[in-house]
Amino acid sequence: MGVMRIGHASIKVMDMAAAIKHYENVIGMKVVHTDAQGNVYLKCWDEWDKFSLILTPADSAGLNHVAYKVQHDSDLEQLKASIEAHGIKTEMLAAGALPFVGRMLKFHLPSGHEMRLFQQKELVGTDVGSTNPDPWPDGLKGAGAHWLDHCLLMCPLDPEKGINTVADNCKFMTQAMGFHLSEQAVVGPNGAIQLAAFLFCGGKPHDIAFVGAPTAGLHHVSFFLDSWADILKAGDVMAKNRVKIDVAPTRHGITRGETIYFFDPSGNRNETFAGLGYLAQPDRPVTTWTEDSLGRGIFYHQGAVTESFTTVYT
Amino acid sequence: MTAATPCSVQLPQTGESYVCAQGETLLQGMIKLGRRGIPVGCVNGGCGVCKVKVRQGSVAAVGAISRQHVTAEEEACGVTLACRAAPLSDVELEVIGKMQRGFFYSITCSGSAPR
Repeated sequence: MGVMRIGHASIKVMDMAAAIKHYENVIGMKVVHTDAQGNVYLKCWDEWDKFSLILTPADSAGLNHVAYKVQHDSDLEQLKASIEAHGIKTEMLAAGALPFVGRMLKFHLPSGHEMRLFQQKELVGTDVGSTNPDPWPDGLKGAGAHWLDHCLLMCPLDPEKGINTVADNCKFMTQAMGFHLSEQAVVGPNGAIQLAAFLFCGGKPHDIAFVGAPTAGLHHVSFFLDSWADILKAGDVMAKNRVKIDVAPTRHGITRGETIYFFDPSGNRNETFAGLGYLAQPDRPVTTWTEDSLGRGIFYHQGAVTESFTTVYT
Repeated sequence: MTAATPCSVQLPQTGESYVCAQGETLLQGMIKLGRRGIPVGCVNGGCGVCKVKVRQGSVAAVGAISRQHVTAEEEACGVTLACRAAPLSDVELEVIGKMQRGFFYSITCSGSAPR
């Protein structure tokens, strides 16, 4: 199976000018394209494909779709077959359905979120190029994020009604999509309920995560930074720009990542995330966080979760 | 558009009241109550946790609110998000968002019974 990494996220914003300012000045992305419908495409400096974020004008916030990139064009056929064998309908969107992108396989996760797979996106190179590159480019703005790293989706969970789309998504992603489970959080009697699942397709601790919630939504899109020092600088950038910080700099037990959570001007949660954590491999034993240690799993230092972190999403 | 003077905000559900300084949103004023349970989410109109109904008085919008959380019909009846509305006069509010339980739970536990 050939899913390599997250390719892009398409999110809804209610004030495009404010959103562009945020993703440019705080995250450090650059606008690369605006289409006839007013959708705006942005890219981080260390990404080589044309864009990784689409902002769409809307009267609400949240996720339109998240797309992952596969290695070979033939992977799209193989994945179409395995997804449909899992009982999920798919639709192949023609090349150009999104600018700069080849054909896309569109389907919905058991949680209801729209996911797309693609193999082709216009290659433009990173801002430092591929020949004798400097480690970072001049003129970076804000946090200077390297790349869109992963997303966390809130998935309907109602144990009394026997609904757990975290578990359904996890099963689907591992069986049909070739992802692997790196970490999970389990709750309830004998830890029978899978409350959270962190999955990878490359070598990082997670490329996508699912957490149980009353309704489906977007918890956050996350941008990669090098180090703890970069996280602290990103915190300064947010303060300078009066960005609403949800969770101040800290470390996750899960994935070992260093983090800040904050909101874009439409209330979509962003994360700046540092540290590659550990080498994620298919044969690495799955890490499990139990209910009594869940707070430490989520925020390792404080050991407790603020209410807004679990109840607020778009 | 903002009120020329500070406005008083009444919360009949808990018996509390607070003042919004000129230009402050209903939520910025509410935060100054300084207790647990204040529905602070994204503060940008997207998440809907600070949903309120303006029972009396008038407010001005200070930004977009998500239609996923406040319909046009609700808005016409005085429903809005506290992070996106500033009072134009003294107002009376009802807290109706999804952090409502925490809002009242904190009051019950701090000893001042809801009315």
